[in-house]
Amino acid sequence: MSAVDIDGLTKRYGDVTAVSELSLSVDRGEVFGFLGPNGAGKSTTINILLGFLDPTAGEVSVLGTDVTRDPQSVKARVGLLPEAFEPVPNLTGREHVAAAVETKGSDDDPDALLDRVGLAPEDASRPADDYSTGMFQRMALAVALVGEPDLLVLDEPSAGLDPNGVRLVREIVREEADRGAAVFFSSHVLDEVERVSDRVGILQDGELTAVNSVENLRDDLGMGSVVSATVDAVPDLDPIRAVDAVTDVSADGSTVRVACAAPGAKMAALRRLDDRATVADVTIEESSLEDLFEAYTTDRPEAGDGDAGDGATGPGAGAESATGDEPSAATAGGDRT
Amino acid sequence: MSSVTVARTDFRSIRRSYAVVGVVATFAALSALVFLGSDEVHPHPVRTTFGLSALVAWALPLLLAPLAYLAVAGDRARGTITYHLGLPNTRAAYFRGKYLTRAGVAAVTTALGVAVAFGVALATYEHAPDPGRFLALGALSTAFALAMVGVFVAVSASVASRSRAMVGVVGAYFLLSAFWVGPLPLLNLGTALDAVAALPGVGVSDSARALVGSLSPAGAYFNLLPELVWADAPGEYAALQQFAGRSDHLGYEPWFNGLVLAGWTVGAPLVGYLRFRSAELG
Repeated sequence: MSAVDIDGLTKRYGDVTAVSELSLSVDRGEVFGFLGPNGAGKSTTINILLGFLDPTAGEVSVLGTDVTRDPQSVKARVGLLPEAFEPVPNLTGREHVAAAVETKGSDDDPDALLDRVGLAPEDASRPADDYSTGMFQRMALAVALVGEPDLLVLDEPSAGLDPNGVRLVREIVREEADRGAAVFFSSHVLDEVERVSDRVGILQDGELTAVNSVENLRDDLGMGSVVSATVDAVPDLDPIRAVDAVTDVSADGSTVRVACAAPGAKMAALRRLDDRATVADVTIEESSLEDLFEAYTTDRPEAGDGDAGDGATGPGAGAESATGDEPSAATAGGDRT
Repeated sequence: MSSVTVARTDFRSIRRSYAVVGVVATFAALSALVFLGSDEVHPHPVRTTFGLSALVAWALPLLLAPLAYLAVAGDRARGTITYHLGLPNTRAAYFRGKYLTRAGVAAVTTALGVAVAFGVALATYEHAPDPGRFLALGALSTAFALAMVGVFVAVSASVASRSRAMVGVVGAYFLLSAFWVGPLPLLNLGTALDAVAALPGVGVSDSARALVGSLSPAGAYFNLLPELVWADAPGEYAALQQFAGRSDHLGYEPWFNGLVLAGWTVGAPLVGYLRFRSAELG
């Protein structure tokens, strides 16, 4: 049973379609990075997951329960860190967490949770209205962790955090995933998503344009990596261009840059270069999630058209290369019929 | 239990803002002033309850409105509602918790105001106040305050922004209190009914006027006072005697006015909740 199972989700506001035919699933123990530009439909999707909004069409099942029919059962097992909410006025951070503990009927110690997220006791006893953004995010994360939820929904959890806080969020997310919780992780900090997510889904104009592991997305787009080699003299580059999966070769002074679409092309290109010149130094740059995000959200690539279908149903389902033709039919590669 | 948690959380929040203290203290002070200013004019405290009832009908809702209009709409505007409803609180439990705090503050404010009035009357008036009449006044005034707070919370739960909540609550106050039984000479229900009656072929009977007049919380409140607080009052006060010998219209019947007040107290929050239950949040 998946932690999140979304099938054909559509949400319209009058003539505006916020989410269109979205299908994806997130497994238990998986960290799923949910990406998209502003207005792509991420928050709408999350609000539907929590029962704040009703879908126009489609089915949304969270932890095996239809969220439109029984949102209470769902919320009892979900930890939510919402985006851009303000605290209850005049309530301390500790009181926010204590109220969550009481509501969930858990036996968590609020102080232990606050300590886990790095909020000092003296800060925990101050009104949360006075918190900096980072302190508030830590408190909100502590609220989300109450009751050892089976699904954590984190909407921009790193917003306003310092580097130590960002690292702490990453560690907590991994710990929760290791415990068996699914983590639905929405963020604009792409580096953060790349570091922590098993798979990412990229939403654009309400449609899932890609969902897969970052590595698979990179391969599918032919944006694998760039090998930069410092040589004594730049040789004829055509033999290197002829290597399979080498997409571009250029020279700048004594540096030769070779763009490789597949992992195996790097060594082949490097050997061919080494045969023709003395290589003094080599660096390899993997294309970042930011590059992928830009590629998927500004100029939708042909190669990525099938990704939504292949990777939408869980970490294992997207291991094969993209083959689908219908990007919005994200169930095509998987375990639903 | 989650309603209790929501209510406790909410009460802590508004208590620490000192708004509650301000409202309770202001109404208590106004109630005391009403009696302090009249002890030499009216030797019987029951006469001054006439003025206090006007304070309850026209000033008390205005004091309670700032506490109530953001009860739900404020949370929606700030996004704080995702904190409450992201936890396993039902919308009903959340709404109940919010209503409970506001209703509790309204009840305490009203009861304390009447109690302070009683204390001042006891200390300064020539004739001792009748505890029974003050108890009845306190109970009726509290019922009225609960009805108005129910309307305000219902408005707050029905809209998504602070501005709409404020306009809605102020509008409800002017319609149900100031216009319906208000002191404004031209802009009130009586002149509106006169205008309707002046139309060719349209007549508005006294019983119809009495009935329409009783349909707001303030109308029902004022219709209940003569029977339950001012009946057989000592002294010869024209203000209190004007109600003696009123016609036997349905709109003046205590049971009917009690029903109207109860209807507002239960019905308004219910309508507010039903609108909130189906609202799209986020």
